[in-house]
Amino acid sequence: MLGKSFKIVEPRRFDLYIDDLVCAPDEAIVKIEYAAICKADLRYYLGARDRRTLGFKYPMNLLHEAVGTIILDKTNRFQAGDRVVLVPNIIPKTKHECAHCVCQRADLGENYCPNSFFASSNYNGFAREYVNYPVDYLLKIPVNLEPRLATFTELISVAISAYRRVNLNGDETIGVWGDGVLGYILSTTLRYIHQGKIVVVGKEEDKLRQFKTQAYYRAGDPGIFEENLQIAYECVGGGFSAEAINEIINKIGAGGRIVLTGVAEEHIGINTRKILEKGLSLYGVTRSNKNDFTKALALFENEEFQTDISPLILKELMINDITDFYRAFEEELGNKRLGKNILRFNL
Amino acid sequence: MNVAVILAGGTGSRMGIVDKPKQFIDVYGKPIIVHTLEVFDNHPEIDAIAVVCLSEWMDDLRILLRKYEINKVRWLIEGGETRQLSVYNAVKTLSPECTDDDIIVVHDSVRPLVTHKIISNNIACAKQFGAVDTVVPSADTIVKSVDGEKIKEVPARRELYLGQTPQSFRLSLLRDAHQKAMAEKNLNSTDDCQLVLDLGAEVHLVQGEKLNFKITSFEDLLLLKAVIKLGKTEML
Repeated sequence: MLGKSFKIVEPRRFDLYIDDLVCAPDEAIVKIEYAAICKADLRYYLGARDRRTLGFKYPMNLLHEAVGTIILDKTNRFQAGDRVVLVPNIIPKTKHECAHCVCQRADLGENYCPNSFFASSNYNGFAREYVNYPVDYLLKIPVNLEPRLATFTELISVAISAYRRVNLNGDETIGVWGDGVLGYILSTTLRYIHQGKIVVVGKEEDKLRQFKTQAYYRAGDPGIFEENLQIAYECVGGGFSAEAINEIINKIGAGGRIVLTGVAEEHIGINTRKILEKGLSLYGVTRSNKNDFTKALALFENEEFQTDISPLILKELMINDITDFYRAFEEELGNKRLGKNILRFNL
Repeated sequence: MNVAVILAGGTGSRMGIVDKPKQFIDVYGKPIIVHTLEVFDNHPEIDAIAVVCLSEWMDDLRILLRKYEINKVRWLIEGGETRQLSVYNAVKTLSPECTDDDIIVVHDSVRPLVTHKIISNNIACAKQFGAVDTVVPSADTIVKSVDGEKIKEVPARRELYLGQTPQSFRLSLLRDAHQKAMAEKNLNSTDDCQLVLDLGAEVHLVQGEKLNFKITSFEDLLLLKAVIKLGKTEML
């Protein structure tokens, strides 16, 4: 079936494509209904990657946080009209066994597999009218969940992935650095899956006040020492991540574990002397896998959790054509508020 | 019930190709008519499809429906000598099996770039108003000439639209319009909306899209092929 698709072809340039969808035997056709723009999408939009990397990526459909409706599923796993989230991390069936396979490791998993595909990174994303997608990577959303809210499933799954990256007892006090969307989602998700106290650290008090955590601190506040943190998550990314990581290194207790989730394009300087002196461990986290999505959707069955996540929806932007799509990216670039605009596809 | 009537009775005399009608021409591995049928077959609000086809191409169509697993086609109807008679044949076939309030979505098989949004808007507006036409505003100034040599008048562009398909109707209204035309021996209308207007009924507008163009010439075929870019990055 023919369908419209928006591909980024060079920085700040989208082209309209008409794609012919051909379903493989294990795929269904999904009509994309709602999506959200991620920081990684904005980097591709601005061309904020090195020239060669972009050369291998363009042209490509952006967006990997999306919800759609099943149009056709010849595998009969879904019925037409079922609402699903699309898991952007796909392990190809043809993948060769890796020498040191991490897919079965609970603390790592498929999202660290070097052979995996990730929509809007090394595989076309969801900025299109329809997508043919493997049914194994589609998950039905709970009936009581508003579909536009379900676009946050991907970020919640990333929070769950970050949580399983380190083995915790469940009662530790956790510090989350970052007053942005991921910081909010991680700290909110932790409240539902972790028994210990959650504190958040950020720069903007207006945003911090909106967090659902037991306590918050402005960055630099010496009161953070009193929390006796043994676990900290960095959710800052970009140019400010060095500042955040160095503060964590300063404020966390000896033997503490630091989980890094933010992407900094440039190499950043961190205080390795103190890492050594305090015997700290640093963990990297990226993306999530299908199991994390399943857990995220299970959390979404709780209406209290839905209420806690819903303030992140700033507004709904109708995408009737490619000019609306440009506008949505430009608006997200200028967004300084805590939350995201949700794109509603009406192509 | 919402029934799509796909018109595939034309021969494509303007294309130059003589061995097959234009709707059976292959575009990137699939005949144009299959591209069109897939859009309707996968539309959640379309309950059934009737295809009006040249009798000598009926078996070829059956083979295509089987090959491409088009499941909603319930009627294969022989085309008439004109477009109007083809639609009339469809109306006669559907009338005993549909109710008067069912919506009939009439579409050219050679407009493969019709979208689900256009079809949904057609159905919603036809349910509300009884008759709708899909149109796009005219970007070019249209001039009227009677003799083909001199301009007779230049109508105001803001009042001009280009008609596309689908055209959608409540079955009873479409049947009444065709029966009146038949009774009055008006047999060569190229537009069902005109017949509905002749009946004294109103026809509302639904916004179409420039890409929903009709493949009638070789240039159109070239455009369609250019539009369907094979722009897929490495897939599974």
